[in-house]
Amino acid sequence: MNKNYLKIAFRNLWKNLTFTSLNILGLTIAFGVAILLSTYALFQLSYDEFHENKDSIYQVYSTDQLPDGPEGDVSKSIPFAGALQEEVPGVEKITRFNGRGVLVLNGDKQLTMTAAYVDPDFFSIFSFPAIKGEKNNPIGKKSSVAISEAAANKIFGHTDVLGESIRVITEGKESPFTVSAIIEDMPDQSSIKFDLALDFTNQSDFSYADNIGDWDKENHEVYMQLAKGVTPQQFEKSTEAFTVAHYADDMAAAKRDGAQPNAEGNYIQIRLFPVADISLAEFKNGIATANKTMPFLVLGISFLIIFIASVNFINMSIAKSTQRLREIGMRKTLGAGKSQLFFQFWGESILVFIISVALGMLIALALMDPFKTLFNTQATFSSIATPEILTGFIFVLLLITLIAGGYPALLLSKLGTIQALKGKLKLSGKNRVRDFLMVLQFGIAILLISGTFVLHNQLEFMRTKDLGFNKEQVVAFALNGKQNDTRTMQLLRDELEDKPGILQITAANNILGLGKDGSRSTSVLGFEYKGRNVYTNMLFVDYDYSETIGLEVIQGRSFDRKYATDSLSVVINEAMARTIQEENPLNARIYLDDSLSFSVIGVVKDYNFQDLDNTIEPITLFLNPERSTRYAYVKVSPKNATTSFEKIRAAWNKIEPNAEFTGSFLDENIDRTLKRERTMTTIISSGAIIAIVLSCIGLFAISLLIVAQRRKEIGIRKVVGASVSTITLMLTKDFLKLVGISFLIAAPVAWWLMSKWLQEYPYKIELNIWIFIAAGVLSAVIAVLTISFKTIKAALQNPVKSLKTE
Amino acid sequence: MLELNHIYKWVKAGGRRIFLLNDLSLKVESGEFISIMGPSGSGKSTLLNVIGMLDDFNEGEYYFLEEPVHTIKEKQRANLYKENIGFVFQAYHLIDELTVYENIETPLLYKNVKSSERKALVADILDRFNIVGKKDLFPAQLSGGQQQLVGIARALITKPKLILADEPTGNLNSKQGEEIMELFKELNEEGVTIIQATHSENNAEYGSRIIHLLDGSMVREKSETI
Repeated sequence: MNKNYLKIAFRNLWKNLTFTSLNILGLTIAFGVAILLSTYALFQLSYDEFHENKDSIYQVYSTDQLPDGPEGDVSKSIPFAGALQEEVPGVEKITRFNGRGVLVLNGDKQLTMTAAYVDPDFFSIFSFPAIKGEKNNPIGKKSSVAISEAAANKIFGHTDVLGESIRVITEGKESPFTVSAIIEDMPDQSSIKFDLALDFTNQSDFSYADNIGDWDKENHEVYMQLAKGVTPQQFEKSTEAFTVAHYADDMAAAKRDGAQPNAEGNYIQIRLFPVADISLAEFKNGIATANKTMPFLVLGISFLIIFIASVNFINMSIAKSTQRLREIGMRKTLGAGKSQLFFQFWGESILVFIISVALGMLIALALMDPFKTLFNTQATFSSIATPEILTGFIFVLLLITLIAGGYPALLLSKLGTIQALKGKLKLSGKNRVRDFLMVLQFGIAILLISGTFVLHNQLEFMRTKDLGFNKEQVVAFALNGKQNDTRTMQLLRDELEDKPGILQITAANNILGLGKDGSRSTSVLGFEYKGRNVYTNMLFVDYDYSETIGLEVIQGRSFDRKYATDSLSVVINEAMARTIQEENPLNARIYLDDSLSFSVIGVVKDYNFQDLDNTIEPITLFLNPERSTRYAYVKVSPKNATTSFEKIRAAWNKIEPNAEFTGSFLDENIDRTLKRERTMTTIISSGAIIAIVLSCIGLFAISLLIVAQRRKEIGIRKVVGASVSTITLMLTKDFLKLVGISFLIAAPVAWWLMSKWLQEYPYKIELNIWIFIAAGVLSAVIAVLTISFKTIKAALQNPVKSLKTE
Repeated sequence: MLELNHIYKWVKAGGRRIFLLNDLSLKVESGEFISIMGPSGSGKSTLLNVIGMLDDFNEGEYYFLEEPVHTIKEKQRANLYKENIGFVFQAYHLIDELTVYENIETPLLYKNVKSSERKALVADILDRFNIVGKKDLFPAQLSGGQQQLVGIARALITKPKLILADEPTGNLNSKQGEEIMELFKELNEEGVTIIQATHSENNAEYGSRIIHLLDGSMVREKSETI
């Protein structure tokens, strides 16, 4: 029985080779792409799932009620973690965490690496197992360092290095450490990644020793494991006494400045956020939530693509079924039951799906590497191949096969015997299903195409937006060498100052955009100004900062070597000027405490020093050449910019021969910050391309069938005098109507979705009806081109031939 | 063997009933060879379809082997005809994608006959019809007469008690037609009941009883004395 089915299935597929190949081609593409996309999405969702304690590990953060609204704050002060464990019940284990770039020295070798400064509990909270050396508490001694396998290979060339010593420079402080453990390399899906782990107390005095007991300076993150039987909600509630005890001043200030308390009447609320969701975390009204839009969007697109291919399959199967009516009728008179017929046809569908899935997997495997580059992801099949996901995958496949293969099978098996034997099938009703499915298909294509247009426009808009500084002419790089930064700057100046093409040199303690070294920071300063708490971003800069990066001074002046008092002066931006609410901001004086005050000497025009999904916040520039030197900025003349860039590189290599040169123009840095948008644009546009290709495959197949069905009609029309163009038009019109309906449905949906997406951005393009019309017209043109192959050929045919075959 | 009592079958066209079968009663005994004659549209095929349970009727009673076909369920009805009736069509209705052998084998598959038994049965019938040499050919490679032979072989493979043949020779030339009719006669002599619909007086003469239909009603009946 089954052999008979299989045989007839193969013969049937073979007989309709064109349709079989179109079907398999479409489904293969769809499955291949869907497998890749869902790998990406599942990978995104599988971050930090590998920790054995993942259900009980949380990051501690707080929601501060400020006059401008609630604000989330993950930074904690040095005494915070210890006090929390002591005073609030429910803390099983707790660790402070400060990750920063350090310089690792081993003999002549000098490497920039990421260090994690943590407390001893770190290794028992998180699952970062040691493969060699001290397993239980790798950094039990203050002078111990645990390094990852990869780092060991980089530093020593092998991992047999227990007991070896290295030197680590952080913030100018150099200390020796002994390797006590080798840590298994962190999985790709780990949000926390480090090359070496050191005891928290090993940080520079500026970061640690100076702040012991200081609740105001917050500079690191805190993770904890919740005790069994305590829910995060219970824990959060029981921290109230703790906040009252330690944050009384802040709460009083918030109240005084007019901040609204939260629903429980608190001004500061300590909260927990599950570590398993941390890669997707996002603050909304001061509360961290996991934003799973992106992975679900990608999953959604992969389903849409499979849907389109399945629609093709359904439409083709139903359209082709007219040729098999006699077989169906005959089988019924021979005693075939409905279920037997259903299983026969379903079996044929399964065959097509199995072939397509297999080919799709091969394609996905083959395309994995380019895909990883394109989508900027570490996703691999093995990283997501858990039993649950595999079961889910098989289940979804079965479901798709059941629906897409089962629907035509069900229709066919339900036909009446006599009707089938006569070879007549009332097509009107079925056509409605087909039209509906095609409208959906094209609707999806139009949706994705307009999405591509909008995303691309927005990306270009942000990329080319005037940010208020000169991003084309300025090269920035990290000062990641061994020498004292101030000295490095001096050497750089000496080396470059007189070179043609080099215009100006300065430094600051933060980068604009995102540099090649991939690190950046935010420093926020809060102080009391005329009886109100005022918050500002702060930046330490060297002389010539505003001139080098091209900030426009609209009031007062920028820092000048002529004035000795400038070290106690600040330059603020317009947003800061508005915040201090001073009629003439140049009269303002900022008191950090009783003995330390700064006078405002200039106001610069607002510039986008943060990512473009933020509005411009207040910023205050302090002149401090000693502390400002983490990044150097060099302005070059627009002529021969590349040569100048090479000059800078050469100078750096001369000054710091062992340190990597991480220079790049600021516009490249801005591009790096738009990675998310770029990836999203890539996803949507590749989705759109696949969707339109698949829709066209389906359309092509349907046009083949329709032309075949109307062959005689076309012949008669030609005999009575229709021209080639009228016939082509007649055949095309029906399809165009469908595209039109799809457009009417898809355009508003696309508009709504896109405007919702754009809401996230303070700087955005205006949505324009033409974008959507362009998407619709594009789909229509592609559709017409696709079917014109067949329609024009049909219209050109000699009518005598088509009539004779009847 | 079967009995039709006052069968009516109609379709509605423009609010009026058009009768396909009009108060038709017929009793068929086991072993009969009945020819149904009548002009196109007189209801020959409809009657055969009703007898073969492929088609419903609107009013009347139908007993097949004592079973009341008009009241039993779809599934039982399917079993009834699967077990007892073989169909032969004017257009042969062989499955193009299957070989001669597989076409003949198909009804056995639907009756869940074991593989070894199937082989024996199909081999027997191929032998009997002298088409062993053609068993691996596809229908398109056969002449019309040969295709109909396969069609009859397929109808007989389940050893039905009744064969319903709708213009079995309609697509054949006279010589081929004669051969098929001889075959029917032979089968009838072996005890198979046959009901055929035909246009041809000659072919009708093979039957032991001829029924004339006009507009869905029996107009006259002629029995031959055997």
